[in-house]
Amino acid sequence: MRILRFLLTRLLQLVPVLAGVAVLTFLLVRVLPGDPIRTILGPNATEADAAAARARFGLDQPLWRQFLDYLGGLFTGDFGTSIQSGAPVGSEMAVRIGPTMELVVISLAVALVVATVLGIWSARHAGRFGDHTVRVAALIGNSVPEFWLGLVLVLVVYNGLGWAPAPSGRVDPDTELSLLTGADLLDAALTANGPAFVSALEHLMLPVATLVIVIVAPLLRSVRASALEVLGSEAYTAAAAHGLRDRLLLRGYLLRAALVRLPALAALVFGFAIGSTVLVEYVFSWQGFGQWALRGLLYRDYPVVQASVLVIALFYVVVFLIADVVHAILDPRVRI
Amino acid sequence: MAEVARVRETGGGGRFASSLITAGSAVLILVVLAALFAPLLSSWGPEQIDPAASLAPPGGAHPLGTDLNGMDVWSRALHAARLDLGIAVAAVAVAVVAGSLVGLVAGYRGGWADDVLMRVLDVFQAFPTFILALAVAALLGGGTANLVAVIALVNAPAYARLVRAEVRSVRELPFVEASRTSGSSSWVVLWRHVLPNSLTPVRVIAPLNCGWAMLTLAGLSFLGLGVPVPTAEWGAMISLGTGDVVAGRWWTSVPPGLFLLICVLGFSLLGEGLQERADSTGR
Amino acid sequence: MTLLSIEDLFVVIRRPGREVAALSGVDLRVDAGEVVGLVGESGGGKSMVARSVVGLLPGGSQATGRVLFEGADVLRMDRSELEAFRGKGAAICFQNPRGALSPTRTVGRQLVDRLVTHRAMTSGEAGETAAELLESVGIRSPRRRLAAYPHELSGGMAQRVMISLATGCAPGLLIADEPTTGLDVTLTREILGRFRLAANAEGRGVLLISHDLASIAEICDRVVVLYAGTVVETGPAAQVLNEPAHPYTRALLRSVPDIDGRPVAVTRGSMPLLRRAPSSCPFAPRCAHATEPCTRERPVTGDLAHDWRVACLHPRSGPVVEPAAPASPSRTSAGEGGDGGDAGDGGEVLRVEDAHVVYRSRFGGGGHHALRGVSLSVAAGETLGVVGESGCGKSTLARLMLGLVAPSRGHVEVAGRTLSRVRGRKLRRLRTRAQMVFQDPVGSLSPRRTVEDAIGEPLRAAGVPAGEVAVRVARVLERMELDPSILRRRPHELSGGQAQRIGIARALVGDPDLIVFDEPTSALDVTVQAQILKVIAEVSGDRSRGSVLISHDLATVRGFCDRIVVLYLGRIVEEGPVDEVFGNPRHPYTRALLSGAPSLGAGFTGPRVELTKDLEEADAADGCALAPRCPFATAECREREQELRPHGASRVACHRAAEIPALIER
Repeated sequence: MRILRFLLTRLLQLVPVLAGVAVLTFLLVRVLPGDPIRTILGPNATEADAAAARARFGLDQPLWRQFLDYLGGLFTGDFGTSIQSGAPVGSEMAVRIGPTMELVVISLAVALVVATVLGIWSARHAGRFGDHTVRVAALIGNSVPEFWLGLVLVLVVYNGLGWAPAPSGRVDPDTELSLLTGADLLDAALTANGPAFVSALEHLMLPVATLVIVIVAPLLRSVRASALEVLGSEAYTAAAAHGLRDRLLLRGYLLRAALVRLPALAALVFGFAIGSTVLVEYVFSWQGFGQWALRGLLYRDYPVVQASVLVIALFYVVVFLIADVVHAILDPRVRI
Repeated sequence: MAEVARVRETGGGGRFASSLITAGSAVLILVVLAALFAPLLSSWGPEQIDPAASLAPPGGAHPLGTDLNGMDVWSRALHAARLDLGIAVAAVAVAVVAGSLVGLVAGYRGGWADDVLMRVLDVFQAFPTFILALAVAALLGGGTANLVAVIALVNAPAYARLVRAEVRSVRELPFVEASRTSGSSSWVVLWRHVLPNSLTPVRVIAPLNCGWAMLTLAGLSFLGLGVPVPTAEWGAMISLGTGDVVAGRWWTSVPPGLFLLICVLGFSLLGEGLQERADSTGR
Repeated sequence: MTLLSIEDLFVVIRRPGREVAALSGVDLRVDAGEVVGLVGESGGGKSMVARSVVGLLPGGSQATGRVLFEGADVLRMDRSELEAFRGKGAAICFQNPRGALSPTRTVGRQLVDRLVTHRAMTSGEAGETAAELLESVGIRSPRRRLAAYPHELSGGMAQRVMISLATGCAPGLLIADEPTTGLDVTLTREILGRFRLAANAEGRGVLLISHDLASIAEICDRVVVLYAGTVVETGPAAQVLNEPAHPYTRALLRSVPDIDGRPVAVTRGSMPLLRRAPSSCPFAPRCAHATEPCTRERPVTGDLAHDWRVACLHPRSGPVVEPAAPASPSRTSAGEGGDGGDAGDGGEVLRVEDAHVVYRSRFGGGGHHALRGVSLSVAAGETLGVVGESGCGKSTLARLMLGLVAPSRGHVEVAGRTLSRVRGRKLRRLRTRAQMVFQDPVGSLSPRRTVEDAIGEPLRAAGVPAGEVAVRVARVLERMELDPSILRRRPHELSGGQAQRIGIARALVGDPDLIVFDEPTSALDVTVQAQILKVIAEVSGDRSRGSVLISHDLATVRGFCDRIVVLYLGRIVEEGPVDEVFGNPRHPYTRALLSGAPSLGAGFTGPRVELTKDLEEADAADGCALAPRCPFATAECREREQELRPHGASRVACHRAAEIPALIER
């Protein structure tokens, strides 16, 4: 009940932020220089052709008019028509979100588990060789350019060892996976398509490894720092001084207290991972949301840019909301 | 309860922090020297084409081989350090100064100006930074100045938030109240007492941020949104070598990435060391 | 039966770049059923002794000697033996109970954890026992409290829970580390009583660590005095606290202001932080009786009488306080101004009239009413004492006097001008007429500025030329008896005592009309406190200036105030000349404060009053704010707010003030 009310107030607080986001994305594509019509029509088009195309996409209307149309479209779930492909943006987007979310969510989940286990281990062995090794390894991971790491993994695991499929696509087309959500692993599981499941898993291996290596460092550092703080806290000392057993100390007094700050950071890292997927998808020809949005950006496809940026912001904001709720559940001191 | 004991030990020590700082600084000095003396360290110019060699493997006249255009990879990778370092440091400097000033004023003044600013920052925070950088860079177009502006823009809000939060806690500390009772004007209080004590976290974050700025820059270039084509830049070099990887030609993309990794690692080590030192001294 | 016996314990802490001899040859014994007080100033090694007993020494420390618990040496136990010993053998009640309770686990779970571990209970049984335990430490509706998280508890409640956690392990030895820090007098007495009970009724040994000699005097059987990691004196409480033999014990006792108003004696210097075990008497450099041998050899601990041992070559004898002392209670040794009679003849420097302060919470809804109609005035040459428990509005009153908070009603005049009527530069000028000395001496100095900067700031703000600033800074520094070399240092290089002298110098340098001392000594060690009190007495003796001394401690204000104001929940309940308030308190609250105040001397001699509840439990209500706690409250008290009315030389906000003495007799 408390959590529900908390959720509701937070959702209300999101309204102005989302309004701001809508305005900003709208202005972003229009205020900055560059003309999408010229980009699609090519340099040989006449002024009349351009004017006709502008009228077709409503770009000849005054700015406020365009904005109202755009807002009206948003409320009815209409994201407009792609200037490039002429197809509705909404339906193009629908098949792109699944693959990308699958990639990001799996990577984040793996990274969270790794960070928790290694972070707490590292804190309990603070100042020793193992701790230093873990920390330096995490720092290296955090300093690697993800697109380069992807390439190196392809070079080693695909070219060299031959353990992974070629970096093109998400699942072997021979498995005849039918499309449900776009998240191939999920689709394979839902349709009980065994071969497709294995194939999707194989294709996920390298991109997930790339993302995990890149995003695990900040999570690990946070868990380690929090765990160190707890280990050094009076509360933990008191529990230890009262002779509680190691297992009980770890489970009851260290773990939850050390994870309190993780959700907020995980949300930030989620955003970082979304950014990274644009690059990782490019390397692995993932054909996901990132590649689609990138193409929109490069061709100044206004409706695609607006829709993709807006949707990413929406996802991000919702993830922060989830993080807040998880934080409130973990930490009884949060007033809700 | 040996754990407790060990925790305290490292808390006070900080020898690891010192070695991190030393290692990070050493790496960075090395990179800066390499960038400065790049013309002396390579026999080819960064944009000089060797018509006799395209995609030549390492060895002979080209220590790291050549790329598709017949340009020397070693020379390009060395020269690229100038551009990558320059843009990243300049962008972070702009972001620190602009963000800190805004955060300082908002945090100290409070009131409606603060409220408006926070709402604007909320909107900015609703975008993952790389996505925002990507969008602005794509729409604004490439070029050195634009890249500095883009990277500064996406990073400044974080500094504004950081400094604002710090100012809000520092301004409640007793010494600030003491300064006010001494009859000092708010300008003096802000400049002499609040500001110097609010920048501690900025000093720790900025080096880490430089590394991140380099990765952003390289990422943008990788996607073709960075500097114009023949310019030596790590991200662009890797991008050019993407197709070679599947064919097993590692030398066009691996070396520039390694250079980038080393440079970013320098910043990361430095930042981690500074953070650890700041934590162990309590502020 | 001897429970704990520490023999020749040395602890050295080695860290990169520094080495500290934390304990140097400590001997100490605790028997079952006995309460032993471990006293001394901070840095003396009290907490280190506690940590040694449970084998929880900080990293980098090396311990030699023996810590025998029922014959087994704790220092030589392996991991599993230690685990079994901790909690069950000896359990600590930590100093800061809020911090020592795990924030993410309910109180009940934490208690059950202890019970299951040490008493081999199932969690079902443990739940029952947990509720009983909470009830036994005086927590009402224990079952509801079991489900609470620590942050939902008040300070007193948290301390009770801490005690139940420690006793829940059923330890032979209970160690309490400063268990009453931050609690009001009523709670302090109750909590200390629980430890006495643990010794008497349950037969446990209790090691009670405290810096506050007076408060533990009543409940201790024996006392051990630590100085710089060494035991300087140990013996029966009555002996050690009344006729101590070691000069340090005597200095310690005479440094503490007492409500009986006896003079405070000042001991120069401060406790050294030793790098290695001392080879001479560590107190010798500060000792008035030290002779050449004291600086050459470390005195051997010798028996003075049965169970009374002292480590001194020149032990003293006789009571520490002359019995005649209370004859001249106020304006004692250090104060040089006249007595209360001729104070207040100067012009008025501060007038607060019907001031209300409300801290509004940001998102609507009520807010906190910190002051409710306070009126007072201070004349030049006069010192006003303001006392009250924490949360009574003392700090708000200080901030109000300095113009740091604006009254929501009423007004404040400094040097004859109303603060709220001026703005900008004029306000800043006017503000400098009143100066404040802060509670946290180091924290009130800007960390990145030098001492010179700090002291000169008021002058620079007033636009005084640089040359004159230097002269005036030098002059005030001399008055504070500080060496000019200190000017170039930064706050973190200063001791608490030095920092507070600099705080006073800063307040003094601009020659203000009023100085407000806000708990100026509460963050300092006892002997340093005495030094600073002497400086304050000297400064507040200036005839041209008024002073306000704010303290939670009645004894502190007694020494050198002319008039006293007693605050309770944002209201003045009693105001009068110092001797009148201490000798003949008229408000039940004042009388209760005096009755509860710990004293090593006679204490408060008049008829005593005890409040029925502690502050945390009392609910706010209409009428007199004290009514829910007052044993004399009537229906009228609960309905009508009380106003200050003259009673003799004082003014009292209690309509039954005249009947109170008679009511107590009954």
